[in-house]
Amino acid sequence: MPLCYVFLRMHSTESDESHPPDTEETSRVNPYIPEIGKPVPRADAGAKATGAEKYAADHYGEDLLWAGVRRAGVAHGRIRRVDTEAAAQLPGVIAVLTGRDVPGTNRQGIVHKDQPVLAVDKVRHCGDGVALVVAEDRATLQKALSLIQVEIDPLPGVFTADDALRPDAPLVHEDHPQGNVLLKATIQAGDGQAALAGCDILLEDTFHVPVQSHAFIETENGVAWQEEDGKVVLVVSTQAPFRDKWEISHALGLPLDRLHIIGPYLGGAFGGKDGATVQCLLVLAALHASGRRVKMWWDREESFIAGYKRHAVRMDYRLGARADGTLQALHCRLYYDTGAYAHLGGEVMALGMEHAGGPYRIPHTLIEGWCVYTNNPIAGAMRGFGVAQVSFAFEGMMDLLAGKLGMDPLELRRKNALRRGDRNAAGVTMTQSTGIGDCLAAVQDHPLWQERKAWKRGAGPFRKRGVGVAAVFNAMGYGRGLPDSALAKVELTTEGHIRVYSGVSDMGQGNATAFVQIAGQILCQEHTAIELVQPDTERTLPSGSASAGRTTYTYGNALIKACEELHRRLIGRTALMLLSDTLDDLELLPGRVKNLASGREIPLTVLAAMMAPEDRVCISQFLMPVVRDKLDTGKEFVIGFPHLLFSYAAHLVCIEVDKLTGAIDVKAYLAATEAGRVLNPQSFEQQVQGAIAQGIGYALCEEVLMEKGRIVNPDFATYIIPGALDIPEMVSLAVESCEPSGPYGMKGVGEVGMNGPLPAIAGALADACGIHITGSPLTAERVLAALQKQQETP
Amino acid sequence: MTQVYLPRTLAELWSYLEGKPEALVYAGGTDLLVKMRTGKVTAAPALICLERLAEIRDVRETADAIRIGAAATHAELLRHPLILTHLPVLTQALHTLGSPLIRNMGTIGGNICTASPAGDTLPPLYILRAEVELCNGETIRIMTIEEFITGPGATQLQKGELLTGVLLKKPVEYNFHHFEKVGQRKSMACAVASMAALLRLSPAGVIEAARLSWGSVGPTVVTAAVVEDALIGEKLSLETLAAAAGKIKQIVAPIDDVRATAEYRRSVSGNLLLRLLDARPPS
Ligand SMILES: Cc1cc2nc3c(=O)[nH]c(=O)nc-3n(C[C@H](O)[C@H](O)[C@H](O)COP(=O)(O)OP(=O)(O)OC[C@H]3O[C@@H](n4cnc5c(N)ncnc54)[C@H](O)[C@@H]3O)c2cc1C
Repeated sequence: MPLCYVFLRMHSTESDESHPPDTEETSRVNPYIPEIGKPVPRADAGAKATGAEKYAADHYGEDLLWAGVRRAGVAHGRIRRVDTEAAAQLPGVIAVLTGRDVPGTNRQGIVHKDQPVLAVDKVRHCGDGVALVVAEDRATLQKALSLIQVEIDPLPGVFTADDALRPDAPLVHEDHPQGNVLLKATIQAGDGQAALAGCDILLEDTFHVPVQSHAFIETENGVAWQEEDGKVVLVVSTQAPFRDKWEISHALGLPLDRLHIIGPYLGGAFGGKDGATVQCLLVLAALHASGRRVKMWWDREESFIAGYKRHAVRMDYRLGARADGTLQALHCRLYYDTGAYAHLGGEVMALGMEHAGGPYRIPHTLIEGWCVYTNNPIAGAMRGFGVAQVSFAFEGMMDLLAGKLGMDPLELRRKNALRRGDRNAAGVTMTQSTGIGDCLAAVQDHPLWQERKAWKRGAGPFRKRGVGVAAVFNAMGYGRGLPDSALAKVELTTEGHIRVYSGVSDMGQGNATAFVQIAGQILCQEHTAIELVQPDTERTLPSGSASAGRTTYTYGNALIKACEELHRRLIGRTALMLLSDTLDDLELLPGRVKNLASGREIPLTVLAAMMAPEDRVCISQFLMPVVRDKLDTGKEFVIGFPHLLFSYAAHLVCIEVDKLTGAIDVKAYLAATEAGRVLNPQSFEQQVQGAIAQGIGYALCEEVLMEKGRIVNPDFATYIIPGALDIPEMVSLAVESCEPSGPYGMKGVGEVGMNGPLPAIAGALADACGIHITGSPLTAERVLAALQKQQETP
Repeated sequence: MTQVYLPRTLAELWSYLEGKPEALVYAGGTDLLVKMRTGKVTAAPALICLERLAEIRDVRETADAIRIGAAATHAELLRHPLILTHLPVLTQALHTLGSPLIRNMGTIGGNICTASPAGDTLPPLYILRAEVELCNGETIRIMTIEEFITGPGATQLQKGELLTGVLLKKPVEYNFHHFEKVGQRKSMACAVASMAALLRLSPAGVIEAARLSWGSVGPTVVTAAVVEDALIGEKLSLETLAAAAGKIKQIVAPIDDVRATAEYRRSVSGNLLLRLLDARPPS
């Protein structure tokens, strides 16, 4: 009875919201044991498809209050006055708060605590909050927000990294010792840039990538309330519930044990919910709401204006090679515009720098990076964390080199592809699975590559066809300096079910499904008997953020250990009940443990009744291994450098360019991806396809446009993300290898696919029309202008 | 709370309007509700929805003309045999309008009354020489669409007046229909530039008659007799079209906006003419 089911779910209370076995699905799908390697349906599919799954945005509650933020609307300025009088007088307004009402440090930030919850004396970007209102309903809230009088004396602003680096530039943070430079860092290997002098071929170019928005469906939101004992509960759309707790505690001066964070499935995040969005604001609001529930939910425009973004970057590249195409030396300078606050800017740049040389052997490198404060919206984490940007540059250089040498671009990449045992461009020895060569070989063997010449000849009038390739990689895990750890917890419930307590969010990437598979594989239970608890700081255990391609890897490794321990216990305790003098004859089977020799069995419900509660729960921790090379470089990075594990991909794209309009039509796409072993072919393909689609948006049309720090396209009518018709059939080939440190040999696959489309499409454009565009996105307008310029130059 | 009336007959509608003269009418709401959300249209005391008015939702024909009810949705028109048979240039445009969801809600009357330079039905309606039928419950006014639309977002619609229908002569003298829109993606895309064309081609490939219009490259749809004259009597060739393209680039008056520069729109207005090189009369 679907309706009954939905009804029941709606009335389930917050605290015991685990995933009950999906009764509805039970009636339709025969029970199966979710196992490793199988295309097991997503654990969340049924509940999401029926609308029964509650995202944070679906949480309301009786007697609900609404909270909202008055934003600065000025990119840089000194706050003279925030007059809340009129707003506070409005009937239906519960509280109007400013920065002066924030207890604690009023500072949030993951690494650098430089971002106020509510600005006090200065605003640094248009989205800075200057006042918080709590009201009875949304209309009153809007009215009250508009009644707040904000007087800001504008200051001259800086809106590009270049501007911010000028000696006389206005300072975004006057008290930051390095002026507008959040972080300046250097990675050097071999002889550095000196080696460029000895190269047969030296190429240089400059690339630009713009700001990209995550454009998730569920915008930033949450609900918070204070309980009678003073504790504040927050249900929030977040990638890092445990870190949120620390951040809120620091910013608002609340003891950690007064905070309870619940993080349901997310309606998308892609990095944009890794860090505080509504968290501190909502808890502050709840402190003024006399125990009533308070909801905050940014609309799309607010999400654009106040939310995090992908960094715009300028990349100056110089690449040196031997006449036979062997890469010799690289020098690059990267300028990351991190916006008004640090967020993860330094870490994003660190990862970009670590990947700046591509998945290639380059013995001599000098990679310099500047991560710079500006008065633009805050840039932070996004899928392909700093790497999507540099991929455009290093693959653009590879295409230039192939063109210069008259060499097949795929051959050139294969020739230089990293192998296990090589040192990468950051000087790190590749000790783990390193499958880029195999990925490139898989693309080379594919009909789309083999038959490309004939395909290209089929272009219609006023059209040109081209085929491009890209070799990309993406590190996984936090890297050195920050323990990448997870604590898995698994329980045999009194109903005889297995309940996995996941401490790491599932924002759609499918890690929850992998956890069910791991439990199914080890504990041999049917899918209907495996329950999942989503992150909740009082029920699950700290397992890090949902980021860095680490969720299945790190939590999965911990879960394997926890499940194995539970398996041992179930067998061991059964032995007591069945009076077996050996464990060897006992087998854990769906719903029971059986003595195969005697045929006697104990149902798990009975076993559970016999076991003490603490005996039914197993907890295990896993800590990701780190690079062992002692590097004498990258010292500026406190955390997040270098990385041990990378996933790899080779992409191929077939495009058709309309010479009359400049529009690029993506006709076919192929991705060969190496991310260790595939735990679930369906989940794997979904990640690859989703990343390609988002990457095609980055390549063709996505660009946050700004005028002096103000976003001029803060909605989906003007910020253009691709639609279904813009995305072609995507073929995903899994090029498996075994990563011995990964759970069942896997590595993270969520990010690497994001990095390929832009360089591959740019390469295909060059192949089709002979134009080399170094500023993305590759809009029809840019392409047409380049075509016209090409015609004019003889 | 806004009140919403859902009249089933025009008579009901007129009497509602009499009681609430400040009420705003809407059909699909795909323009009006968006503008109300952003504050471009200030909230009215009441809304009158046209979707249940069968009287102004149907498509009828006479021997030489077609009448489209103003409240017909884009999706209905795309399925309608009369439209498919007689007005391919309009169906081509409708195919590019919004998405299936928008086409299910949005109406031709709404597209006309919004009078956006980017309205996709407008370039076809201009070259089909469409007339609009306006009624205020007592009198009926009929005028050409060109007269009706006076500027971006501006029309001759008077207070208390309703657009009831669109009247079109069957374009029997043309044997080639063409519409193309350039947007920032393939669907859900506001036109950056568009072109509609009706041609009569002789078996020998001579252009005997031509009507052309451009969307999104001026305050209203752009038509250009000089360009049409440059084509008529000429053989359909790259040279002919390129010459005409040069002319239209001088005539259009596009603007820079968040979607594209004026320069791009100007280039594309001309380039879209070259696509007619593929034109063939139906065999
Ligand atoms: C996501 C999205 C995508 C879109 N894509 C496109 C696109 O690709 N191309 C395009 O051209 N448009 C597009 N539009 C705009 C819109 O869908 C069309 O203009 C549609 O035809 C409007 O019709 P409607 O019935 O919804 O108008 P409504 O919103 O109902 O009305 C629009 C205006 O016309 C008035 N009005 C409506 N009917 C009458 C009548 N019979 N008499 C008098 N006044 C009337 C209303 O008072 C209102 O001022 C899009 C809109 C959205 C939201």
